[in-house]
Amino acid sequence: MKSQNKSTTHIKMAVSFGGAGLILANHAVAHMSRTLCAVPRARAIHSTAVCCKHQAARIRVGKGDKPVTYEEAHPPHHIAHRKGWLSQHTSNLDRETGAAERTVEDIFIRRFIFGTFHGLLANELVIKRRGNMLVVCALFTQKIPAYKLYFLIGYTETLLSYFYKCPVKMEVQTVKDKVVYKYL
Amino acid sequence: YFRNELAVLQALSSTVQRDPTASHYRFQDDPYLTPRTASEFKLFSLSQESGRNAAKYIINTYPNFFLKDYAEPHIPCLMPESLQPKVTEVCEAGLRELIHLRKVRSAVDMYDRLLQAGTVVSLELTNNLLDLICFYGDQDPVQGDQAEPEKTAEGEVVQDPAPRRKEGRFRKSDSLHRTWRKDNNAERIFHLMPERNERSYGALIRGMVKYGAHSKAFDLYTDMQNNRMAADVHAFNALIAAAPEVRQKYSEKWDLIAEMLKQMNKLGVRPTLLTFNTVLKSLLRCGPLSRALVLQVLGEMKALGIEPSLATYYHILVAFYRQGEWGFIPKNKYSLGMVPLCIHLYLHTPARWEPGRSVLIVLLCLQCCSLKDLGLAYRVHSLLNVGDNWKLLGNPSREGFYYGSLFNLVCMMENIGVVLQWYRDLVPSLFYPNSHTMRDLLQALDADNRLDLIPEIWKDVKQLGLATVSGDLAEEVLALMARDEHSPEIQESFANCALAVKAVYGHGEQSQATLDFTASALCNMATILLAAGRTDQAWEILQLFKANNRVPSEKLLDEFLNSAKSGSNSEQAVTLVQMSSSFSLPATARLAQRVEQEFDLSEEQKKALQDVEATILSDAARLSAQLVHELRRQLQVAVLDAVGGVREQFERIHVVGRELGGRRHLLRLEKKHRLQAVARLVDHGDAARQFADAIEAGAQRGLAVDTALQRLFGQRRGERLCKLVLATAVSDGLDGAR
Repeated sequence: MKSQNKSTTHIKMAVSFGGAGLILANHAVAHMSRTLCAVPRARAIHSTAVCCKHQAARIRVGKGDKPVTYEEAHPPHHIAHRKGWLSQHTSNLDRETGAAERTVEDIFIRRFIFGTFHGLLANELVIKRRGNMLVVCALFTQKIPAYKLYFLIGYTETLLSYFYKCPVKMEVQTVKDKVVYKYL
Repeated sequence: YFRNELAVLQALSSTVQRDPTASHYRFQDDPYLTPRTASEFKLFSLSQESGRNAAKYIINTYPNFFLKDYAEPHIPCLMPESLQPKVTEVCEAGLRELIHLRKVRSAVDMYDRLLQAGTVVSLELTNNLLDLICFYGDQDPVQGDQAEPEKTAEGEVVQDPAPRRKEGRFRKSDSLHRTWRKDNNAERIFHLMPERNERSYGALIRGMVKYGAHSKAFDLYTDMQNNRMAADVHAFNALIAAAPEVRQKYSEKWDLIAEMLKQMNKLGVRPTLLTFNTVLKSLLRCGPLSRALVLQVLGEMKALGIEPSLATYYHILVAFYRQGEWGFIPKNKYSLGMVPLCIHLYLHTPARWEPGRSVLIVLLCLQCCSLKDLGLAYRVHSLLNVGDNWKLLGNPSREGFYYGSLFNLVCMMENIGVVLQWYRDLVPSLFYPNSHTMRDLLQALDADNRLDLIPEIWKDVKQLGLATVSGDLAEEVLALMARDEHSPEIQESFANCALAVKAVYGHGEQSQATLDFTASALCNMATILLAAGRTDQAWEILQLFKANNRVPSEKLLDEFLNSAKSGSNSEQAVTLVQMSSSFSLPATARLAQRVEQEFDLSEEQKKALQDVEATILSDAARLSAQLVHELRRQLQVAVLDAVGGVREQFERIHVVGRELGGRRHLLRLEKKHRLQAVARLVDHGDAARQFADAIEAGAQRGLAVDTALQRLFGQRRGERLCKLVLATAVSDGLDGAR
């Protein structure tokens, strides 16, 4: 259940990667330094203090000019309260296998569609698995004419079907612009 | 424990009916992505299909990315297609593979190499190869983009591929245009074969017939008979299909077909459904014989216990009907019974789908239209729900044709409730009507007095994109709305609708075609708005008349005057009269009079009215001057050549003069004209008295009569005239008179 939130941050990964890495490293190092305090301090690692802080899938409040959708505005502890799930499959149930493979497929599909429908995604994809079918539910903006959108839909469906050897269907909704929930 | 894996799904699907509010299943369920017109439908489906083709191209070009097999059990249709043969060395297995991959030329190559290498190729394999070559006409089957470089590389292509390059999708039709070449690989291999059996002969015969070498096929058949081999049913079918091509007279054609059938019987070859259908198809080429024999063939089929299929009925119907422009024309008096007969027969047999017979349903429906039989049409329509028959409708354009004719019939025959029910059911989920259909619908509304539904229909028309196609629909809608009196709410809705129609005319968006305003459309618009009591907008429309160079009708101006009167707006009334005079309408005088009488006018308004009247007169004068000028020209021409009709012409001048009498500034012109004409008449020796009158009149008015006097003196007419002339001359003091 936590895996899909990591996928939501993939867009922001590039930006925040440095900071996260640093803090994670710090966390690990701090842990290490506590366990290693018995070792004589010949060569110690200098580190700063740990900042125990969550920062997964959150947008920090800024000046108030950044538009933010409903999905982005709510941090992950609101899942199942104010948010739904972006990836729906049964691998996380008891005695079911394959969760990791599903996750990797999801990531690939998200990147693929982000690239194919360049600049058109209004919100995160929702990926559902029903039976042997993979249903990709997408929300696009109306920036390109409808027939071009149909070309891309036909292309994606066929390519992903051949890639994953299962029927892939897209359920598309369009919206005029990205729906802004608030400005942060 | 299900009998059939699909049983559950089938049971579920039987509970769901078609949703008339949704678009076709292949489209996404979103308002932006739903097609609204027939062209959008086609565009969206084609673009989706081309997306799929693009994906398939990528998959087949880079197959190594798509080889990992997740599926258990293996799904072969989701693997990339490998069209390249795997076996490379020259052997029989390689030939087999090439035949399987349908690579005609490479297969022939391989066969030749095998023969050169000395290996004996088995009879069966050779037969397979012959089948392949004969089926594809000795050329490679076209496969999307791949065939293009191959075709241009070889110079043996029958027709020029350049014009076809754009139609990637339609290349399959090329195969029908191929012809059987003389130095064929098939014939060559056939002659090379050490032993031939019936299958080889059969393959060659069928290939020849398919690609147009009909007489050769018959030659080969006689060859076969000489070798005492029995052809199989497929070869006979091919020969029957080829029979009409090798004989000229109708009776001979039929004789040949009958001959073939007899030989089949002798050899004990059992005819199939395909045989009979081929017989019927060939019969169609036999002219008037077909009608007599078609039913006999049907009888034969029944006797043999072969159930006729849709193709049979199609051929029977085509035998009796000829395709006209707007329907089908029966060829003789027996034709009319054919359609009910066919439907009756068909309904009593289990439905069987045959590919390529989509025209049948269309044909049947059109028959019902020309027969005006609604019950029959409903039965045909119910046929569509049986089994797989929905596929018979063919491509979307044929489907549109079918539904169009069905809806047309319903509009004509049923009352408005049923019509509207059909309309809501069919449009726009099943078909997109064209303007003809919409006009039928409007007529049906008119006939049943439900004109209040017009605004909704107009909305549909606009959405279908039919509004700007031609101005007829818009004009008809406006005319229907403007015609009668209705209750206030309906008038209100009509007024809104009229404004919506107005938006269609004039300058729309860049991408849309725009219509020009026509006089009748503007008149109707103004009438509707006046009837709804929206005088300001109605006045705006009056301005539009001038802007678009259109003339309003008198009835319209009367209505405007009435509305001005009810509003007691004399300013508007005067403006109206001025406007009418600017259009130079003949009713202006009457309008001006009416305004003077019915309204109390202020001083400046009265002055304005008088100005108008003056301009009326000057206008009239200008007009009549033009008229006179025209007449003069005509008269000069007439007088110069027609001697006999002189008197009438003179009468005509009189008439003209009397009509224009009273207009002072015209008289000058008129008299001069008259005098000139009269002078010419005098040359013809006639009308002395009238001439005298003319001179008198002219003298009273003080006109110069030079020319006439000169003429007169030249002719020396009667005394009275001379006296008159002298008097005139003296009074005028003309020198020339002396």
